[in-house]
Parts: sequence; structure tokens; C-alpha cells
Amino acid sequence: MAILSCANSGRLFWLGRYTERVFTGIRALSGRSGAWAEAESKLCFDGKNPESLYCSLMYAYDNAIVLRDEIGSDTFSYIQMAVYEMNSARKSPAPMLQLQKVNDNIAAFWGMADDAISDENVRGIIKLGKRIERVDLYARGDAGNDEIRREVTRLTYRIEKTGLHYDPETLSALNELAEAEDIDRPEMIRKVESLVDFP
Amino acid sequence: MKVTEEELCRHSDSVNEQLARYGVKFGIYKGGQFHEQLFPFDVIPRVIGHEEFAYLERGLKQRVAALNAFLGDIYSDRRIVADGVIPEEFVFSGSGYLVQCDGVSPPGGVYSHISGIDLVQGKNGSWYVLEDNLRIPSGASYPMIARELCMRSIPSAFTGGIVDNRNYPELLRHVMDYVNTGGHSVILTPGRFNAAYFEHSYFAERTGARLVTCEDLTVENDRLYFIDYSGRKEQVGAVYRRISDEYLDPVNFNRESLIGVPHIFDIYRKGNVAIINAPGNGAADDKGIYYFVPRMVKYYLGEEAILQNAPTYLPFYEDDMRYVLENFGRLVIKDVAEAGGYGVVFGDKLSAKEKENFMAMLKAEPRRFIAQEVIDFRDIDIYEGGKRVPRKADLRAFVLTGEEPVVWKSGLTRFSRNPDSFIVNSSQGGGFKDTWVMKEGY
Amino acid sequence: MRRLRYSYHMSLSFERPAWEHSFKLRCFPSTDERQKISGERISICPVHFSSSERDSFGNMCIYGTAKQVHTLFSVDAEGIAETDIHGVIPAESHKAAVFKYETPLTRAGVSIREFHRSLEPRGWTGEFERAVYMMGMLCDDFSYVSGSTGIATTAEEAFTMRRGVCQDYAHVLLALCRLERIPCRYVAGMIPGEGATHAWTEVFDGGTWRGVDPTHNRPCDDTYIKISAGRDAGDCAINQGVFYGGGKQTQSVRVVVREV
Repeated sequence: MAILSCANSGRLFWLGRYTERVFTGIRALSGRSGAWAEAESKLCFDGKNPESLYCSLMYAYDNAIVLRDEIGSDTFSYIQMAVYEMNSARKSPAPMLQLQKVNDNIAAFWGMADDAISDENVRGIIKLGKRIERVDLYARGDAGNDEIRREVTRLTYRIEKTGLHYDPETLSALNELAEAEDIDRPEMIRKVESLVDFP
Repeated sequence: MKVTEEELCRHSDSVNEQLARYGVKFGIYKGGQFHEQLFPFDVIPRVIGHEEFAYLERGLKQRVAALNAFLGDIYSDRRIVADGVIPEEFVFSGSGYLVQCDGVSPPGGVYSHISGIDLVQGKNGSWYVLEDNLRIPSGASYPMIARELCMRSIPSAFTGGIVDNRNYPELLRHVMDYVNTGGHSVILTPGRFNAAYFEHSYFAERTGARLVTCEDLTVENDRLYFIDYSGRKEQVGAVYRRISDEYLDPVNFNRESLIGVPHIFDIYRKGNVAIINAPGNGAADDKGIYYFVPRMVKYYLGEEAILQNAPTYLPFYEDDMRYVLENFGRLVIKDVAEAGGYGVVFGDKLSAKEKENFMAMLKAEPRRFIAQEVIDFRDIDIYEGGKRVPRKADLRAFVLTGEEPVVWKSGLTRFSRNPDSFIVNSSQGGGFKDTWVMKEGY
Repeated sequence: MRRLRYSYHMSLSFERPAWEHSFKLRCFPSTDERQKISGERISICPVHFSSSERDSFGNMCIYGTAKQVHTLFSVDAEGIAETDIHGVIPAESHKAAVFKYETPLTRAGVSIREFHRSLEPRGWTGEFERAVYMMGMLCDDFSYVSGSTGIATTAEEAFTMRRGVCQDYAHVLLALCRLERIPCRYVAGMIPGEGATHAWTEVFDGGTWRGVDPTHNRPCDDTYIKISAGRDAGDCAINQGVFYGGGKQTQSVRVVVREV
């Protein structure tokens, strides 16, 4: 197993989380109809709003650029291209088309990461970040209970597979929450956020 | 050749698109803010024939061997000073001489593992060395990745006559392994906000050496360790550091420094880790010492220097001072303490008043300056706005030293984008080209 | 020849807890051509790992790290020094060249250069006599005022004010000697009595290093115990450290030397 620094393990985790945040955020936008309103623009492109999809992608890039040696230039290049597409989406009258390309690149990034990164640990941390973020986003959003259950199952499978340190009690509590007929979403968010501890 | 160049020009945009895709950038501070910029690439290569490069190769190996011998000498017996070949003030009063390195023998006996020798070609075809860079010469990553991406975009232009330059990581890895004192080899970067961060991360990817920052390293019990995310310690035996001497170790050098690895220099003195390049190399690439390199070649190797310096005068010597004052208007004057294209004055560009002030400064501090004849560079074409236009360009050749010096069969060709400028430094807006070295018979 | 018992105590107290404290100490006299150290006892507290080496000037250094949280860092060193200034052995002259050139702390500016021009031109039998002459002239024009300067004060700054402490006397004399390209070095050490460490100057003359003490306007005798030598006070820093936390720090040093 290759050696991995503490700082880089945290960066891989957040790279997984931020790419997921952008990906799911764009998918949510694409389902909407009607004109592109001020609110959507702000949510999407505001460089001063740390919650915007633009900022999330920049945070993903900030992590990716210092991980070139861990993930490889080819894998990195998809994040770089997602940034270029995001920048042209900001200037576009029909931004959904470019945002679709942002997501194409994020999907390619995940695929490439899975295929080209030989270190299981490095791959596993990115995926774990992605799975945790997805449960968190689904619990916050309007996803159905079945969708949430499916994501909790995928997260459970992922976390048990990686050799990373996590809190098993929190994991079983999370699964219990998912099994309930009516999911306690705020509690689920609290649990999923305290599952692992990364810098 | 011509057909190929035209073909390359046609694909100029697609190659630059590829470079953007892979984030081939350099960092620059403008108004206190950090920006990442694409390093402008010109698709027309500098082409050096087999015979010509063989000549450069012999000269570069010889020069770097002499520079390494010089560093070994001045940090031990100082024979070259005792024998009166170089005046002692040029050795001991220069800012690059680190007294803390006196008496240290670096692992493998190598001081300058990676040497970047800057050359220019005159109109008459002869090559001149302009500068030796023995501290942290950067730039090899750019022609290396550019070659890769050009081959991808324009495979038909690469028909087999060009020496592949993508072996640089193997050469670098070999040097790290050769001097490694036991344990991992790492590349130490000051971080993402360094101008050459792309290069640091790309070399790490391609050599398999871990990219680390100072916080990842610690000294314990006279050994250097990398600390991994689970707190486990792994010994490190070679550090290719991309931070300068003064920030390397706050306990031994700049106490105000917020970065650095405490005690790394103490254990280096004991031979417990290799530092690439060795601390203290500034004593040999000072612009004042440059003047003496041909003498070093003669002194240490008993040979005449194959590569010539640009004609240089040291105002320190009375005859040279007289010459410099008489011919001020056609010389270029360089401040020995400055680098990166700064502190360079062209005599003919000064007003009468500026000239008078400058000459007074020259007389007051002769040791601070060197003067050189302005070399009439041979221009190289660049492809700009759909046309080929001539521009000034230099060549940084890389020599990697393990058991012996090895010349990388390529180099970084930098050009000035301003047609009137002689300054090709990337921090001043220049661009780069690939350098093709041809195989025998092509 | 004399036998001197010395004890050196240094403590560094931190306003707030400090940790990951890396230090390099240069406060231990060691045996050389004119002093023999015996019965040495050293204690450093706290410490996680430590090691020793001689730096490029031959000075004994102890370096290490105190990882644990602490608010006080202390160093104690004691022993017996047998000193004999006549027991000199030749030093390597090719090593002396580095001491001929000014450093940022010993750079001669306008006021030192002007003073130097007022001195009688050369015509002395050797470097040592020349240094003694310059020391005498310096002492007529410079006063000892404790607290008037700091560790970063340059020779030129101190001389412009015409006052300073032993470090400044030594720096100004170094600047004067270096204007004449006389190899000379800064020495940190101890002299009989109680108080702080002392500093003086050594001049390379006839193949050996000879001490002069500009603070007392006299050549050094066998009551001087040398701790370290270098181009200036920066090379002889008794304690160089970096740490996390700590806040404001206060350093105190107490030296006792008695003849036995």
C-alpha cells in the first residue's frame, strides 16, 4: 500500500463530496421547467456564495490540483475541463447545456478515478466522500424514502469495504433510521455527518 | 522539415487546448494576488541536429562536472582559492556561499544533481552559456508534456527521427535513488501557490516519488520521516526539494520562516538524508562566479572548456572596469544578486543622467556587477496570429548527475513574445517551445 | 594555566503553552587548543529527542525537539575548564578566509568608515597589534550602556550611537578589522564572576587565533572560557528555536565562573 498523508486523505474525501454536490445539484436543476430565474443563477453561479455550485466545483478543483500525483493527470483533467465548462456556463444565455457538460466531466472523472487509480485506499476515500455527500443531499432534498434507503445501503457497503476508521455505532444507527417507515431526516443528516472524521 | 512545421502550425489550437485540459500552468503574483496562467506554448519546435547536440552534450557534461568539483572544493579544501585561480572574495563574500555547508560531504558526492544551463545561439551559429542554474532549476516538465500532447494531436509529424524526451522522469528517479540514504524518495513542494507547482505535482506523478509539504515531514532520532494519515512513520532518504535554502530549516536558516522542516539540515550534515540539490549551491551559480567557470574546467579537469561564456567583464578587475566604462553604451550590465531577468540593464537604453548614476554605482561596488557584450541571438520563428514571426529565444538544457552527468536530450526553449525584447523569462510573459534533438542520420 | 568551574543556566518561559518545540543550542564549552573541559554535566528539560553535532565552525551544538506541551524550557551546563593561552596550536589558514568578509551584522557603514579613516595607517608588526591598537581607539569613543542595543543591532547602528554592550563592541571591532581584510571572528564565552555570557573578538595572526576583549580593552588571558566562535553573533546564537503556541517568551541566562 502506498503511503498517503493525512492532508491528502482529507482532500480525497472532500474531492468526492464536492464533485457529488455539484453533480446532484446540476441534476436537480435540469429537472425544472420554466425560465432560468435569478434565484437559480445565484444558487448556481454566485462566486461569493460558498453554497453555490460554482464554488463547490472550485473547492473540488482546489483539492484535485494538489492531488495530481495521487489521482493522475488523466483523472485530474476531467475536473479541469469541468471548470472550463462551468466558466462558459456562467457566460451562457442557455447555461443548462454547458452544465450538462460539467456533469459529463464529473461522471467521466468518477469513471476514470475508478479505472485508473491503482491504490484501493485512494479510490475508496473518494467514493466514500461521494456516498456520504449523497445521503446528506438526499436527506436534505426532496428525495423519496426508497431513494434514501438505497443510498444508505450503498454507503454501508462502501464504508465496510474500505479499511478506514469509522464509528460502527453511528453506522448502525443510520441504518435503523433508514429502515423506519417515516425517516427522521434531520437526525439522519446529523448521523451521516459524524460517521467519519477527516481533516 | 518545412512540411512538418506547417502541419504543426495547423494544429496549434488543438495542442494548446490539450495543454489547458491537463492544467499545464504556472503561478504568478500580480498585485499581491495569486493567479494561475497557462504557459503559452508555441508549436514550432527548436530543432537541434544530432552532431550539434553531441557537441552541446560534451560541453554540458564537462561544465557540470567542473561545477560539481568546484562546490566540493570550496566546501572542503578550497584548493582553487589557495592556488589563486579564483579570488577569494568571489567565493566567500557572495550571498550564495553557505558557511554552514563547510565540511559536509553530500551523499554520493553530488552537489548539483539537476543543473539547468541557459544557452543562446548567436547569429553565426555558435552557442554561448548565459547562466548556470544549480539551485532549483525548473522547466523540464513543460517540453515533456508538450511532446506527449503534440504527438497525440499531430501523430503524423513524429516520424521517428526525433529522440523521445519523455524519459526525464526515469533520469530524475535514477538520481534520487542513487543518492538516497535509505527509505523513500520524496518531492518537497512549498505548496500550490508556488510558480512551478504544476511541475512539482507532475514530476511526482511521473516518478512515483511522493509529493510532500513540510508538515508531512518530521525529524526524529537523526532520521527523516514521512507521517502518513494513520500516524505511521516511514523513513525518507532523499528529498528533491523545491524550496530554497533559506526556507529549508527554520532552526538552521531563516528563523522567521513559517515553513521548513526543523533539523533536516542537521541530519543532512550527518549524511542521514540526501537533499537534491545540495544546500549552498548558490556559491557556484552566482553571476560573478560564472566568469570563472572556464577556468574551473581547466583547473579541475585539465581540459579546455568546450562551451564558451558570453564575453564577460568583471569590473572588479581594473582593466575590465576601464573597458566597461569606455564601452558602456553597447554592453549589458547585470547585478549578480538578481535573477529571473531582473537587475539587467542595457547600456544603450539609459538616459544620460541614469547612465551617470549607474556608473557611479558601478565604481562604488564593482563586485556587485558583471558586464557582457550583447549577443546577437539567432531568432526562432513563432506562430502568431496565423503567421510565422521571428522572436528571441534561449535554451535551458538539463543535466542530471548521479554517478556521472547525463544530458537530457531535449530542453526548454523559451521565447520572448515582445519582438524587441531579449528577456525570455516566463515570469515576464514569455512562452515556451519543445526542443527536438534529432537522431543520427536525420 | 587555570582551573575554572563554570555553570550556565538558561531558561525560556512562555506566556502560553508551547509544543513541538524544535531547538538548537550552542551554549556548551568544548575542548579545543586552549581549553580542556572535564566533569561536564548537561541537562535539558523537557526533551523528546536530542542529538549533538559540531557545526561548521567546530562549535558543539545540541539539537532536538520537545514535543510535549510546556511553559518552561531550561538548559543547565556545568563543568571544569582548564585554560592555557600559551598552549596554542596552528589553525588551518585556508579556513580563515571566510572571516575576512563583512556580514550583515558587521557591515561598516558611513560612521564606522569615517572612524576608520581617522585611525593611523598601517605600520604595525602584525594583525594582533593592529587589532589591539584599533580596540584602544574604539574604547576611547564608545561607552558600555546595558540595554541600549538588542541582539539584532548591527555594528554600524551601535557605533552611530557610540554605545552598546559586549556584543556591539565585538561587532564594531570585527567591522574595523574586516575593512583591513584581517581575518577575525566573534567569540561567545564566559569570564569569572556572576552574570550573563560575554563576547569578544579573535584575530588570526601568524597562523593562530588570538583573543582581544574590546569591552575591557585588553587581550584575553586564561580566565576566558570559550563557548563558540563564528563570523558574528548570529553564528553563535546560544538558542535557536521554533515552536507552536507559546505567545510572548522571556529568556534569562545566569552564568557563574569561579577559579578552583
